[in-house]
Amino acid sequence: MSGPNEDNNTQLSSHIFGDLLDSIIVDVASECHRIAKLGLDRNLEEEEEEMRLSAQARARVADPSNSSETNTKYVVDIFGQTHPSVATEIFECMNCGRSIAAGRFAPHLEKCMGKGRKARLKVTRSSTAAQNRYLRGSPVSTYSPYSNSTSTNRLSNGTPSVAGEEYSNGTYEEPWNKT
Amino acid sequence: MSHSHKLVIKRSSMSRPPPPPPPTTNKDQQHQNPSFQEINIKLIQSGEKERLKELLRERLLECGWIDEMKALCRAFTRKKGRNNVTVDDLVHVISPKGRASVPNSVKAELLQRIRAFLASTAD
Repeated sequence: MSGPNEDNNTQLSSHIFGDLLDSIIVDVASECHRIAKLGLDRNLEEEEEEMRLSAQARARVADPSNSSETNTKYVVDIFGQTHPSVATEIFECMNCGRSIAAGRFAPHLEKCMGKGRKARLKVTRSSTAAQNRYLRGSPVSTYSPYSNSTSTNRLSNGTPSVAGEEYSNGTYEEPWNKT
Repeated sequence: MSHSHKLVIKRSSMSRPPPPPPPTTNKDQQHQNPSFQEINIKLIQSGEKERLKELLRERLLECGWIDEMKALCRAFTRKKGRNNVTVDDLVHVISPKGRASVPNSVKAELLQRIRAFLASTAD
């Protein structure tokens, strides 16, 4: 292997790598374009909605001629300062990276983190379904299978998945994991 | 590692991929320096290009690169408006940052496999 040939190989390899990378970049861009056009990324519309609500909240706070309902919430602290009823400081959500007004952050997080919850709920449902089959088949069970399964299903649908899992699994959590 | 040293030099000097050299009819050159076109054909026909691309995609997914690029696209789409965005826009949004932010380990792994392929098909 001569020197120039090796260099050529290296350059060729980089070129091929660049080609592969460009191809993947185009794929990603195309996918994002598709999602944008089809409106599949519901966060996009919600972002505009949230920005509107944030602006509204800020406007309400800034406007001195508000209804008395808002005014009574202006508490004066020991330094004589008043704080706006809706926190106006803007910062970045660590989950999705958007700029959110502090006063809107809790409802935003509900939706933002909730997007992951939908996926986890599905997992919970399938794992509880597997548990239900096991419970019904197993002769050695402390609980009556039917009542347990129905209550399990209701719980996992209605409550946040973490709490639901803990309750429904109870003592049965361990055997599942070991198997 | 001399390899990574070479990589650094190459990366800074290559901002955009050079267009593939036109296919040459000079027999000598074809014999000594396999053109990009020739290698490309071998890559595709052997199925290695597809494998390499999937490997690269998997690595980039694992390290969060793809998520970063998608976030860039989303941010751009929000600013420009959902219906005004073109694929070309997004490609231009992602390309510079994308090419620069590939982790070195990923790049090294792919380059190693490419070089191995080149060696295995050396004339």
